[in-house]
Amino acid sequence: MLIIKNIHASVDEKEILKGIDLSVKPGELHAIMGRNGSGKSTLANIITGRDNFIVTEGSITYNGINLLDMATEDRALAGIFMSFQYPVAIPGVNNAYFLRAALNAKLKHHGKSEVNAADFMRLMREKVKLVNLDESYLSRAVNDGFSGGEKKRNEILQMLTLEPELSILDETDSGLDIDALKTIAEGVNNFRNKNRSFLAITHYQRLLQYMHPDYIHVLIDGKIVKSGDIELANQLEEKGYSWLES
Amino acid sequence: MKQFQKQFDDLLAYWPDEDQELRKLRSTAFDQFKNLGIPTKQLEDWQFTDFSSLKEIDYRLSGAEDLPQLPDDITEQVSNTYLLFMINGHYQPDLSDIPESISVTTNLENFKANKELYLDHKNLNPFSALNTSMMNSGVSVTIDSNVILEKPIQVIYAMMDISDPLMNHPRFVFQIGHNSQATIIEHYIGSTDMPYFTNPVSNVTIKNNSVLNHFRIEAEDPLASHIATSNYSLGTDAQLHSVSISSGSKLFRHNINLNFNDKGGNASLNGLSTIREDQHHDQNIIIDHSHNTCQSQQLFKYILSDKSSGVFNGKVVVQEGTKHTEADQTNKNLLLSPKATMNTNPQLEIYSEDVKCSHGSTTGQIDTEALFYLQSRGISKAKAIELIINGFAKEIIEQINNEDVKTYINNKVTNWLESVLIDA
Repeated sequence: MLIIKNIHASVDEKEILKGIDLSVKPGELHAIMGRNGSGKSTLANIITGRDNFIVTEGSITYNGINLLDMATEDRALAGIFMSFQYPVAIPGVNNAYFLRAALNAKLKHHGKSEVNAADFMRLMREKVKLVNLDESYLSRAVNDGFSGGEKKRNEILQMLTLEPELSILDETDSGLDIDALKTIAEGVNNFRNKNRSFLAITHYQRLLQYMHPDYIHVLIDGKIVKSGDIELANQLEEKGYSWLES
Repeated sequence: MKQFQKQFDDLLAYWPDEDQELRKLRSTAFDQFKNLGIPTKQLEDWQFTDFSSLKEIDYRLSGAEDLPQLPDDITEQVSNTYLLFMINGHYQPDLSDIPESISVTTNLENFKANKELYLDHKNLNPFSALNTSMMNSGVSVTIDSNVILEKPIQVIYAMMDISDPLMNHPRFVFQIGHNSQATIIEHYIGSTDMPYFTNPVSNVTIKNNSVLNHFRIEAEDPLASHIATSNYSLGTDAQLHSVSISSGSKLFRHNINLNFNDKGGNASLNGLSTIREDQHHDQNIIIDHSHNTCQSQQLFKYILSDKSSGVFNGKVVVQEGTKHTEADQTNKNLLLSPKATMNTNPQLEIYSEDVKCSHGSTTGQIDTEALFYLQSRGISKAKAIELIINGFAKEIIEQINNEDVKTYINNKVTNWLESVLIDA
């Protein structure tokens, strides 16, 4: 599904990723772990196509298509979603209106008819329960005045609504208390199936205890230095990252 | 200045039998105007705006011969309102619709009955003086005490089918009695292929315990110059809620002066300017807190495209010895083009201890983080930009507490935005 080959990437002419290889198959959940500044978020940003993140070498294909040539919105329409580490507040833009615009863009892309406002609100009333977010958040401006936890719930709400094939969870666990963490992990777990894949980026193994990743990759200084299963995450929890540094 | 002198002389000759006191008022004001002159960039309050075009074009006062064929229908209007219609400066009672319970008089009639309203008017700037000297248009509207108006009063001031550059100096006197509630819409529209100059002065008095919603829509022709002065005077516990939308005219300047005449007043002033090409919009606001427990809020936003330019000058003065003053002043600007410019200067002058004041200003381009966020959800860049700009405007539109006005303005802003984005 997602094949990353020898990716090198720079931000402001500073090389952050120094040759990453990663292959994610349908239904798999891969965790990318590493310290701050190791390149985890850069990896997420080049998959989603953010400006200023420049790929200098290597390739990324998604279902056989060269992802790097595609605009951000086209990557999203192709089935890629990122839950942001720092979801941005957009004053004046209604949360439900925005999410319906996003869903309709996707439906249209797949040649399906758009969802009307009434049907959409019915759908939303179901979805908000799954992330334990009050319905009133739908009529507020996107992330505007939301607490850290509410922002993350809103991200997962969007994931559950847009139903992407590949979801990148960028530090979704940061700033969450244990209850919120459980809600979000549960939301993700219920959403998992044999076709949906996940890249969970985190520097703690806390979230992974609830999410049961298939693979763990450790990123240090722009390279994957070790891959393994959940046991690797447990080792990191115990010993930190320094034993993996050369 | 020569052409203004000629127009002034012609005006006096045109109405030789005018009330002597009114004549004197005009002459004194014209002398004031001559002394002050058209403002130059040397004057601090006017420094960011170039008024030289007003001297370069020979504007002629609109006369009876400038009344065009009347339209069958006025398409550009907010629905469900009482209507006062003026075209090329001339009041059209037949196209107006106003119940008898609302007193509407011409300035001339009103001058005879309530001279003090005109004699007390202070010409705080040269354009206000020019208006007093050449006052040739406008009406006076009086809402009695203990009245709750069912519908808004909409004043439509239209300029159309003119054959040479015209000017008008409308004077509006809006008086709201005690314990009353009213909504007034000042609505300026224009469609010509000639430049014209409209220089209105609106004197608004809100007496004790009354509430006025004042909406102002400036949708003049792009060739127009619109220089306006709005003076507000609030009585005890009076409330003003105003929203000013400006998107027309090449040159726009609005002076807003607000005075609390007693304690307990509350004023909320909001504005949205949507401008493009070489439009220049300048707003200058002075709020004078000279009594206790008064509150004022200002929120002014500009959306600037192409090489348009904007100016915001807001000043809140809290006088010595006043208590429990609350004042907030915010200016936010969105630049859609690297050539667009904004000058902003929010100021607080506080001479009292017992105040809660805040002010701030931000000017920026479209938030690229927000843009990326929306795109990352599959929304096209064009649609994402539209959502963000609409969101920016919405904060002002949400301040409009009348659904018909809100719908009208919302459509205007959406259409403006679509035309700007198509051209981009």
